[in-house]
Amino acid sequence: MVEIGDKLLGYATNPDVRNRGASGGLVTAVLAAALEKGMVEGVVVLKRIDEYEAIPVITDDVQEVLASGGSMHAVPVNLAKYAVGRKIAMPGKPCDVRGVIEQAKRNGVELEDTYIVGLNCGGAMHPVVTREMLIRMYEIDPEDVVGEEIEKGKLIFKTKDGEEKAISIDELEEAGYGRRENCRYCTIKIPTNADLACGNWGVIGELAGSATFCEVMNEKGKRLLDNAIEAGFIEVQPADEKSIAIREKVNKTMLKLGDEWKGRLLTEIPDQERLAYYIEQFADCIDCGACREVCPVCTCGEDSKCTMFHSLADNYKMSMYHMVRLLHLSDSCIGCGQCSDICPVDIPVTTIFRRFADPAQKKRDYSPGMDLQRPPFLELMLK
Amino acid sequence: MKETIYQTVCPGCGIGCGLYIRENGNGSVSIDFLKSSPVNLGKLCRFGMKLPHYYSDPSSGKVEGLVSGAEEAVKAAASRLKNAGKIAMLSAGNTTCEEHIAFTRIAETLGTVVHTGIPVYPELPSECHPHLEGMPLAEIENAEKIVLFIDPYVQYPLLVRRLLIARRNGAHIISAGTKELHLAHENRDLSPEQYAGLELDSNSVIIADVHPHTDSCHTKQLLNLALETGARIHFMKPFINSEGANRLARDKTGMMGISHIMDEIEKGDIKTLFLLDSDPIELMPDSDRTANALSKLDNLIVISSRDSPVTEIANVVIATESLYRKRGTFINAEGKLRENSGQEVTGIDAMSLLSRELGSEGFEYRQLHGHLHEKMIETLANENRKPEYGIMECAPVQHNGACTLKYLFNPFMWANQPDDNDFVLLNMNMVRSLKLRKGGMVRLDSEKGSMKMRYRVERVPDGMILTARKLQVATGTNTTVKVEGC
Repeated sequence: MVEIGDKLLGYATNPDVRNRGASGGLVTAVLAAALEKGMVEGVVVLKRIDEYEAIPVITDDVQEVLASGGSMHAVPVNLAKYAVGRKIAMPGKPCDVRGVIEQAKRNGVELEDTYIVGLNCGGAMHPVVTREMLIRMYEIDPEDVVGEEIEKGKLIFKTKDGEEKAISIDELEEAGYGRRENCRYCTIKIPTNADLACGNWGVIGELAGSATFCEVMNEKGKRLLDNAIEAGFIEVQPADEKSIAIREKVNKTMLKLGDEWKGRLLTEIPDQERLAYYIEQFADCIDCGACREVCPVCTCGEDSKCTMFHSLADNYKMSMYHMVRLLHLSDSCIGCGQCSDICPVDIPVTTIFRRFADPAQKKRDYSPGMDLQRPPFLELMLK
Repeated sequence: MKETIYQTVCPGCGIGCGLYIRENGNGSVSIDFLKSSPVNLGKLCRFGMKLPHYYSDPSSGKVEGLVSGAEEAVKAAASRLKNAGKIAMLSAGNTTCEEHIAFTRIAETLGTVVHTGIPVYPELPSECHPHLEGMPLAEIENAEKIVLFIDPYVQYPLLVRRLLIARRNGAHIISAGTKELHLAHENRDLSPEQYAGLELDSNSVIIADVHPHTDSCHTKQLLNLALETGARIHFMKPFINSEGANRLARDKTGMMGISHIMDEIEKGDIKTLFLLDSDPIELMPDSDRTANALSKLDNLIVISSRDSPVTEIANVVIATESLYRKRGTFINAEGKLRENSGQEVTGIDAMSLLSRELGSEGFEYRQLHGHLHEKMIETLANENRKPEYGIMECAPVQHNGACTLKYLFNPFMWANQPDDNDFVLLNMNMVRSLKLRKGGMVRLDSEKGSMKMRYRVERVPDGMILTARKLQVATGTNTTVKVEGC
């Protein structure tokens, strides 16, 4: 039996799962055990197409869960919307978890039915940009890549002939590659808002690469882990002080870097320039609505406020769609980057929304998607 | 919780954006983003975002208005085709290369050709045809000067990001269209005599499009401009496989534009029309007139993956699976071969059976795909070809009248998609002279009738009224109208 607050090192008991998983397959095994023992009806997994492409799939097949796994930094999806209306378990980066919690505040997700195994995240990369980076910076054929890893500030790619090549993330990002813009200034690296917070930070010595550091964050996390241990899917042991200290050190380093990027990208816009800035930023919008559709915290559906006041026939210099969304998301934008990823005209939507939301959230000391205790400051929490 | 996920290509235009279609257990469809697609990085325009609606009307087989199975429909089609006189066959490029090849084989059996409906091919010398093929879209990003004869925002939205990248890379962008474009450095309404003032050279790119209503004289003028300046020219295409359908046509001189086909039907010279995923009622600017003409046919036979106005009035409808489920390939506007993950071949099986019913050999997917590879693969990479055509003469069509109502979107694109373009665009001079109220309506009168529309103010030329939606009063892509405030 584990306890809330426990910090453990663990791995899958199945050797195949342990070897295939990025860090001992603990996360995969915990999710599979939850399905096997009927805690949930399905599990959200990333079905790997290749090194740069995976599609989220909801499955009720334990074998499909066990066959998934492995870190995929070049697959920037947010899984929160896949949880809507379902009794599921899912892995999640901090922004996936934040999306689910924001959904729960708006009754889009029943949090008691949703189990989230959080994964540490230093940032994700766009697959097409990653391919270009491999050719130009690493001089590697993208098709030769069999794995990737982030370690000590370097992004490492492994090729099928067994070679490894590492370049510092700073160097990559100065060249316009590396992590997506929003990931650079993200301030949540360890998903303490999930039921379990897992990752490879702090896994050292002979367990390095074959075990996961796991912190039990709440009662649901305890249930998940106890279930997996009882089912014989995983083995765990307490993490020692050194492991815990290293994990914290990595986190602090990542957060410091995030703060630096935040200072560079989310600069304050003088009052007299603010309207002109937003008008210009959205001037190329083609009205596809994709940013709303993909937003993991949006629960409005068809009859949303942002579309209700908007008409293509309007002659406003900036559409009501954008104005309403800027306001509406000021208390809920989690900076996940999905809107920037899918904007067909490359508007840096996330950064624009974060620039608008950041001062408002800071003023109220409010961080969306971290817990259910505080309601969104623009509206009541539905309960 | 069972889901089936298809990797497919958006049918909205010829760019060929990659995406996923999710089908859940109850048959409902949703989209997901294929971020590793090099064509679009997972990005979709407003058409792509509404694909679940596009796919909401899968086709059902019919014979004389009664629901029928595939075999019965094929036999009924064969019976009609065997006894038909002059047959016109149309496949505009809304389906896979393999289905288009199968359709072409049936045309050979029937002693006719497959028309793609784009008039510039038969109307331009054959040595121009290779220059109508698209160029790699990534090369647009490196141009020094770009002249746009299209409105990318509304016609080919995924081109906008390429142009914005080009602009960031230092390209000077000129819009030579009727509407002011935010991404352009200059917006110039130019007559052909003024093209020399564009000062293009071999580092310039001209971007235009060819579609079922392209004025071939305009295309000749643009090809002349490319020839005289050394600029590269890129033609966008309107349908998912327009590029493939036109590259697959061996002899384009026998082909007809869709307006020509409709003229022949109206005159009674064509009595049988055989369509592959192409609906003239959607393709022609005047839907009523087109439907009326089609009703005069002896035989209207349709192979279709979705219900549309023409399947309502056809004598025979051979139903096939939705496009995203099909096994097959498409060639996008830049010449890239794109492939569906779907494995269904209902359409090919039906055409194979039809071929046998007509006394010829059947075929299967593998043969058709093999034919594509033999004939096409070596030509897929469009090189910067040296022009082999000479300067062409042409006399542009004059549009007379006080005001011209002009289609802003290509009227044939994006059929059956919900949109809220329930307004026309006109300029501030017209608003003032007509004393239009803010938020009010404008009345449009043509020889076909009268209607009221909301309006939006844009910087368009005086006398020009643009519409993004097919309007009852329109008789063509350009319609002379009288405009009044109301």
